[in-house]
Amino acid sequence: MKKFTYYLKVWWMMSKNAFLAMLNHRVGVVVFTTGKVLRFAFFGAFLYFLLSKTNTLAGYTLHQTLFFFLTFNLIDVIAQFLFREAYRFRPLIVSGSFDLILVKPINALFRSLMGGADILDLFLIPPLVFAVYYVGSLLDPSASQVFLYIVLVANGLVIATAFHIAVLSLGIITLEIDHTIMIYRDLTNLGRLPIDIYGQPLKGILTYLVPVGVMITLPAKAMMGLVTPVGVTVSFALGFLMIILTLRFWKLALRQYTSASS
Amino acid sequence: MKKYLSIFKISFAQEFAYRVNFIMWRVRNVLQILLVFFLWSTVFTNPQTELFGYNREKILTYVFGIFILRAIVLSSRAVDIAGEIARGDLTNYLLKPLNYIKYWFTRDISSKALNLSFATIEITILYFFLRPTFFIQTNPLQILLFLTSVLFAIVMFFGLLVLVNFITFWLPEGGWASQFLVIVIFTEFLSGAVFPIDILPEAIQNVLYALPFPYLMFFPLQVYLGKLSMAVMLQGLFISGLWMIVLIIAMNRMWAGGVKKYSAVGR
Amino acid sequence: MLYSGKMDKAIIVDHLIKNFEVTEKKQGIMGAFSSLFSPKKKTVKALREISFSIKPGELVGFIGPNGAGKTTTLKVLSGLLYPTSGFTQVLGFDPWERNPKFLKDISLVMGQKNQLWWDLPAIETFELNRAIYEIPQKIYKESLNELVDMLDVKKILNTQVRRLSLGQRMRLELVAALLHKPKMLFLDEPTIGLDVVAQAKMRDFIYDYNKRCGATILLTSHNMDDVINLAKRVIVIDKGKILFDGDLRELVSRYAKDKIIKVYLSKEYDVKQLEKIGKVKKIDFPQAVLVVPRATAAAAAAELLHHFPVADLTIEEEPVDEIIRKVFSGEVKVSKKK
Repeated sequence: MKKFTYYLKVWWMMSKNAFLAMLNHRVGVVVFTTGKVLRFAFFGAFLYFLLSKTNTLAGYTLHQTLFFFLTFNLIDVIAQFLFREAYRFRPLIVSGSFDLILVKPINALFRSLMGGADILDLFLIPPLVFAVYYVGSLLDPSASQVFLYIVLVANGLVIATAFHIAVLSLGIITLEIDHTIMIYRDLTNLGRLPIDIYGQPLKGILTYLVPVGVMITLPAKAMMGLVTPVGVTVSFALGFLMIILTLRFWKLALRQYTSASS
Repeated sequence: MKKYLSIFKISFAQEFAYRVNFIMWRVRNVLQILLVFFLWSTVFTNPQTELFGYNREKILTYVFGIFILRAIVLSSRAVDIAGEIARGDLTNYLLKPLNYIKYWFTRDISSKALNLSFATIEITILYFFLRPTFFIQTNPLQILLFLTSVLFAIVMFFGLLVLVNFITFWLPEGGWASQFLVIVIFTEFLSGAVFPIDILPEAIQNVLYALPFPYLMFFPLQVYLGKLSMAVMLQGLFISGLWMIVLIIAMNRMWAGGVKKYSAVGR
Repeated sequence: MLYSGKMDKAIIVDHLIKNFEVTEKKQGIMGAFSSLFSPKKKTVKALREISFSIKPGELVGFIGPNGAGKTTTLKVLSGLLYPTSGFTQVLGFDPWERNPKFLKDISLVMGQKNQLWWDLPAIETFELNRAIYEIPQKIYKESLNELVDMLDVKKILNTQVRRLSLGQRMRLELVAALLHKPKMLFLDEPTIGLDVVAQAKMRDFIYDYNKRCGATILLTSHNMDDVINLAKRVIVIDKGKILFDGDLRELVSRYAKDKIIKVYLSKEYDVKQLEKIGKVKKIDFPQAVLVVPRATAAAAAAELLHHFPVADLTIEEEPVDEIIRKVFSGEVKVSKKK
C-alpha cells in the first residue's frame, strides 16, 4: 500500500510535469488532437455510410460494427493516455539519458512506460465512454454481458500493456522503437473492425500470435453475447501469460543494454 | 540536369542507409492495406454483389491500385523540409548553386522509384496469398488519361506538401503540425486511400471534388476502372490541372517570401 | 550483506569482465542487404579482468584514452550494465540488482546527458527527485539550500532549462544528482564542454563536496586538470586493462624518466654546445630548457654551471599532464603493477 501511494505520487508529479512541458507546444498539441478526432470521425462516418447501404458486415449490424470500432478506440485511447511515455523512449535510449533513469530508485519500466500521462487523451476518454455507453445500450445487453465486457476490456488493456513492454524491450535491444511502436499501432488498427473479416492465416495470427482479437474484438463480442466461457477463460490466461512473458523479456533486454557510449 | 541526376542517386542510396526505417515503412504499408482489402473482400463476399458502382473485381482492383498509387503519389522525402527550416539547415542549401524546390522534387522522385519497386514485389507476394481477381483496362485512351492524372497527382501532392512545410518559415512549429493535419489526416481520408469517395452522400462528394485531395488517388483510379464518362474525366483533369498550377504558383511565392523572412531572422 | 556504515571498502571490483556484441555494418547497397539478412557479430572486450577497491571517502580519478573502458567501468558500478563475469560490490550491494536502497545511496552525473526536464524550470525536476528518492521535506530544504549556495544557482532555479547555458545547466544537473546526499558519486566527464572558468568552478565544488560530505567519488575525465587538481589516487586504464593504480605522485615519479633544467644564460651561446649536455627543448635567449635523464640530472647541472655563462639555473620535475600524455601516446611503456 505504501508502495502504491509512492508510485501514485510520482506518477502524478510526472504527469503534471509532462502537462506543463506540453504547454510549450500548444499549436502542435491542438493540431494533433484535432487530427485524432478527425480520424475518428472520418472512419466512423465511413462505416456509417457503408453499412447504411450494405446493412451488415460479416453478419454484424451497423450498431454492432460501430460498437467494435468504439471499443477499439476506447482501449487505444486509454493505452495512449497511460503509456504516452513509450513514444518518447527512443530519444532516451539513443542519447543515453536512459542511464539516468536506471540509476534512480524507482522501477525503470514504470518510469519508461507511465512517466508522463497524456492529459489530452484524458479529455477524449469521457466522450468515448459515453459513445460506448450509448451504442452499447442499443445492443440491449444483459447485466452479465455488460460485466463481462468491462472485465474483458480490462484484460484488453493488460494485453496492450504487454505489447508496450515488448516494444520498449525491443527498443533497448535494437534502438528501433519508433517503428516497432508504429507497427504495433498498425496491427491494433486492424482491430478497428471485427477480426472475423480477415482471412486465414491472418485471422489466426490476430487471435493467438498478436492477440488483437482478444484485446478488442472479444470484449465487444461479449457485449453481444457471442462468447463462450472457454473463450473468456482462454483470454484471461492469454493476458496473464503475455504480461509474464513480456516482463521477462524486459529483464532480458536490460541485460543486453549497452548504454549509448559517450 | 546532371546535378539533379546525382542528387537522385545519392538520395536513393541514402534511403538504403536507413534501411530498417525503409523496410519498416514498407511493412506498415502492407499492414494498412490488409484492413482495406479484407473489409471490401468481406462486403463483396458474394461475387454477384454490385455496390456504389463497383463489383468485386473492380473494388479489389481499386484496393491494389491504392497500394501502388500510394507508392507513386504519396512516397516523399519533402516531409523533411520543415525540420530543415526549423533547425536552420536550410542555410547549407542557400549557399549552393541549387534550386531548393527542384532538389526536393528530385529526391521525391527517387523515393517514389524505390517505393514503387518494393511495392511491385509486395503486390506480387500479396497476389499469391490473397488471390484476388483484377480488372484490366485495355482502352489505350483510358490508360493515357489515367497516366496523365497520375502525373498531375504527383505534382499536386508535391506542391501541397511543400506548401505545408513552408509554413515553418513563419511558424516554427506550424509546419510540422499542419503537415500532420493536411498530409496524414486529410490526404489519408479524402484522397480515397481508406475508402472510395463515392460511398459518401452526393452532397459531400460534390464539395470534395472541388478540393485537390480526391485527384491524388481516387480520381485516377476511377479513370482506370472506366467508371467515368469522357466529360467527367476531362472535367476532373481540368480541375486537377488548375489545382496543380495554383499550387505551383503558391509554392514559388511562399518560397520567395519565406527565404526573405528566413534570412531576416538570421537562423 | 547489507551496508552497515562501517565498511572498510566502498567499492570492490574483482576480475571484472565486460564484453559487448556489436553488429558490423558493411559498405554499399549490397553490403547493406547482406548485413540485413546475415548480420556479422563481433565481440568487443571493453573490460578485461580488472580488479581494484576503493575506501569510503576516497576521491579517485580514472584516466585513460578514448574507449579505454573508463565509462564502462562506471556504468557497471552504477548498475547500468550487466557484467559479463567477475565480482563487483558497491556499498555492500551488487550494483546490477539495482536495489532501491543502493540506488538511493549513489548518484551518476554524466557531462553529456541530462535528467532535467528540458521545457521546465529545474526546480520541477528537483521536486520530482524529492518524490522519487523519498527525501523528507526538511532534509530536502537543507540539502537544496546548501547546494544552491555552493553552486550559486539561486537565480536560475525558475528558468526554463532550455534557456540556460551549458555551464548553468551542468551546475543544476549536479544539484539534481546530489539532493538525496549520495554516499557514492560517479562523475563521468563532468567538465566536458565547459569553458575554463566553469571548469574551475566545477572542480572546486567537487573537491569541497568530497571534503564536506565525505562522499566517495569516482571520476573519469579527459581533462588532465580535473585529475591533477582533484584526485590523489589515480587508476590508469587502457584497452580494458588497469595499467596503474596508486598515488598520483607515484605515477609521476615512476614515469618521470627525465628532469627539466632551466638555465638563464648571461650571454648568447652556441646551441650546439648545449645539445651535448641534454635535449634542448626550447631556446629563447636568455632562457634555455633542457631535458635530461633523471639519473644524470645532477651531473648535467654541474657541467652547465662549470662550462657555460649561467646566470640562474633550476631543476624541475616534468609536468604531470606531460607524463600522462606520454603514458597514453606510448612514449613511456607502463608495466602492470605487480
